[in-house]
Amino acid sequence: MGVLEDKARARTFYKYLSRVYDTVNPLVWNEEMRDEALSRTGIEGGDRVLDVGCGTGFGTEGLLQYTDDVHGLDQSVHQLEKAWAKFGKTDRVKFYRGDAERLPFAADSFDHYWSSGSIEYWPNPVDAIEEARRVTKPGGTVLIVGPDEPSNSLFHRIADAIMLFYDADEADRMFSEAGFPEREHVVMQANPGSPRAIVTIATVPEE
Amino acid sequence: MKESLMEIVCCPMDKHDLELDADERDDGEIISGTLTCTDCGESYPIEDGIPNLLPPDMRDGA
Repeated sequence: MGVLEDKARARTFYKYLSRVYDTVNPLVWNEEMRDEALSRTGIEGGDRVLDVGCGTGFGTEGLLQYTDDVHGLDQSVHQLEKAWAKFGKTDRVKFYRGDAERLPFAADSFDHYWSSGSIEYWPNPVDAIEEARRVTKPGGTVLIVGPDEPSNSLFHRIADAIMLFYDADEADRMFSEAGFPEREHVVMQANPGSPRAIVTIATVPEE
Repeated sequence: MKESLMEIVCCPMDKHDLELDADERDDGEIISGTLTCTDCGESYPIEDGIPNLLPPDMRDGA
């Protein structure tokens, strides 16, 4: 677990991250990868979808290609300001400030759940994945994208100090513990040598 | 936020229903107001159209 376990530190980190996020992010997670991940969700027009840790709105933009009913949640106002610049504050997307591990939504509120580039900053990922299961209807998809364990040792040491990295085995353990019997993991990479992203697609079980 | 969202929002702490007290409305949007948990009594502000449903320990200055 990294230094972002401390939520106050996480806030400061995000404030600065939001300034460079859309510049750095395409090296790890680009439109092509996002669209590939979206095609695995089963989202249909009219579905209500929650985007957790929507940040600057890169995933949100992709979700809007599938449905008009997109809800974005983020803890950081600095990140959200970038998203508001793209979509308006109360126009195309319903925005909330909130915590992934303690979602402010009733059970079964959403048809699908999406979160890209946020899990690496969650202090207790299993808690957040359990919350994803709670707010998503049975049969709906929970899709979470995070950074795959880096193989380069120097980058690994730097990266591990500030965020969570996990491989398919660890993703499988977390989703199993959070109550998802049906789950698959796909590793994606923008270019040879770039950091890899791990995409988990899980189905909310019928109660 | 739109008033229809009251159907899905809840208290992040205990998941009970919230009660809306709107101070300012504009064209179907609630611009400012307060959401109060009907069980624990914790209140959450709506600021400039955005509900701040962060748990109290994560709010700015917490």
